Amino acid sequence: MASIHLKNVGKRYPDGNRAVIDLNLDIADGDFMVLVGPSGCGKTTALRMVAGLEEISEGEIHLGGELINDVEPGKRDIAMVFQNYALYPHMSVFENIAFPLLSQGVPRAERRDRVERTAAVLGISDMLDRKPRTLSGGQRQRVAMGRAIVREPQAFLMDEPLSNLDAKLRVQMRSEISRIQAELGITTIYVTHDQVEAMTMGTRIAVMRKGVLQQEGSPEVIYGQPANLFVAAFIGSPGMNFVTAELSRRGDDLVLGIGPQELVLPPKTLAQRPALLEHESGSIVIGIRPEHLSLPPTDNSAKLKATVERSEMLGAERLLHVSISAKPVSADEIMEAAEEVSAAAPAMLQDGSKGDEVALIARIDPSIVPQPGSTVELGVGLDRLHFFDLESGRAVL
Amino acid sequence: MRDRYSRKTLIWEVLLLLLAIAFCLPLYLLVSISLKPPQELFTSPLTFPTDLHFENFSRAWQARNSGGMASAMISSVIITVGSVATLIVIGSLSAYAIARRPGKLSATLYTLFVIGIIVPFQLTVLPLFVLFRSLGLIGTYLGMIILWVGILTPLTVFLYTGFVRTIPRDYEEAARMDGAGLVRTYVQVVFPLLRPITGTVAILTGLFIWNDFFASLIFLGGSGRETLPVAIYSFVGEYLTQWNLVFAAVVIALAPLLVFFLIAQKQMIRGFSGGIRG
Repeated sequence: MASIHLKNVGKRYPDGNRAVIDLNLDIADGDFMVLVGPSGCGKTTALRMVAGLEEISEGEIHLGGELINDVEPGKRDIAMVFQNYALYPHMSVFENIAFPLLSQGVPRAERRDRVERTAAVLGISDMLDRKPRTLSGGQRQRVAMGRAIVREPQAFLMDEPLSNLDAKLRVQMRSEISRIQAELGITTIYVTHDQVEAMTMGTRIAVMRKGVLQQEGSPEVIYGQPANLFVAAFIGSPGMNFVTAELSRRGDDLVLGIGPQELVLPPKTLAQRPALLEHESGSIVIGIRPEHLSLPPTDNSAKLKATVERSEMLGAERLLHVSISAKPVSADEIMEAAEEVSAAAPAMLQDGSKGDEVALIARIDPSIVPQPGSTVELGVGLDRLHFFDLESGRAVL
Repeated sequence: MRDRYSRKTLIWEVLLLLLAIAFCLPLYLLVSISLKPPQELFTSPLTFPTDLHFENFSRAWQARNSGGMASAMISSVIITVGSVATLIVIGSLSAYAIARRPGKLSATLYTLFVIGIIVPFQLTVLPLFVLFRSLGLIGTYLGMIILWVGILTPLTVFLYTGFVRTIPRDYEEAARMDGAGLVRTYVQVVFPLLRPITGTVAILTGLFIWNDFFASLIFLGGSGRETLPVAIYSFVGEYLTQWNLVFAAVVIALAPLLVFFLIAQKQMIRGFSGGIRG
């Protein structure tokens, strides 16, 4: 087991296209690092550079303190699980799992012993004689894991290994992979475009966009303190609500003008985010997580009048879609993040937020059933608001 | 539920059945004539033989034309198996390199191979004959194997290249990650994945070589190493031809090929339709 360090790593293709730009990551021994981002953000390229399957154009990659830029993939002592598993179809499950050991010249008896032990860990002992095509998606996934585990490598790399599974199996395999990784304690880099996977599996998350690392940290930090609009919009389901507000000072108080409505920020907000002063008498983007909009409002929360559009009953909670009179935010970052959730999402965002109307989603108690068209007062957790610079999209701290 | 077996389906079935019979007719004639006595051949050529003359097969087998059927069978097997095996090794390796190392050199080589398919063999016979004679390859098995490998490598490379391109690179990358070198990756991972197209190549080129008359007559004629088609042709005389023996010899020549086809037909069809099952 070993740590992995990426230092100013870049990937430049002959046509000048840059897939990864100046990537710096420190992955500690035993960490479960998830690289997450929309399609084409460079996460898989970064993973393949660590694997040695992609040449490194710039920078250095260290594994266990050793520079591995020019080390052959097979000699890096790293195992990889591929998106479509890449199980050799002509070999049995046993032969598939034993293949890396065969390449390493491990004696036959030890090979058998290690394959059987690995199969027992994964619960596939009764499938060793079967061919991959006779296995279900979940079983194939386990075999692919087995092929990686059996080598007892220094690090695991996983390239969207759950993307071919159905939703239920994905949830099951998510915890299975986390359990195995925790048991073995092997440093892991896991690539996914699914932010739920990232949040639930990673001990650390690195969010990427257009080849650039946006933010790296624990799931709590990524969710609670997003560094910019993109991270804020990408992480969380449903995503963060965004609205453009006018920031002004009235006496000692900072006031947010959201359309015709006003929210007075508590004094401690300025103490926590001194940079807000730079945006005084100007526009700023505020972000509110759906769970920080309450109905009915709690006693100490500020209130925001909104018109109910529709609601979605999800069982344990209800998603309330409302609109408020305010200036929408249509930054590229938000659109790109929304597109990752669903191809139709950007259009929906713009549909709901046209002219001076902004669509918001609140996560409320399922027993409350507001009527569409009615006006409600939503509670806003002012201490949970996020502020972003309108131009750069960076969080205002 | 509506009955899906309609009158249209029936008509289609009858038409397809007739078509199948039309395809089987030559085979029927071949087998029935091979079992007839010479007299019946001309009196009722299309009917099924009244008596089955299985001795036609042994007579054809023992005939001493062009070194005999047994010797011709051995020649055909050596030349066909030797050529097909060499074609598979050379063709698959070349195609693998062309498909997996994209670049100008690969593109040029691929174009050259395609041109090689187009050039008619008959055009090249004369210079090839002169060259083979100067190299002492006329009338030898090695010469015939080299000839066939040369003639059929373009087609083999063409077929293999198309197939290799359909194989996801993940398998090779997984093997690389698993610590396998280039040779192990090719032998244990890539080549087994090529099995469907290898079946196709084996049948297509094998049939071509097995049935060839022209090249064998020119490059092996008079050497005593003639292949089956040349040996069969020697039953055809200027004044007298024993057609029943000719047909019996054709049936004998057909048998190994039929067995091979029955074994490999599944692979061949998958090779034509492309792709592999994971």
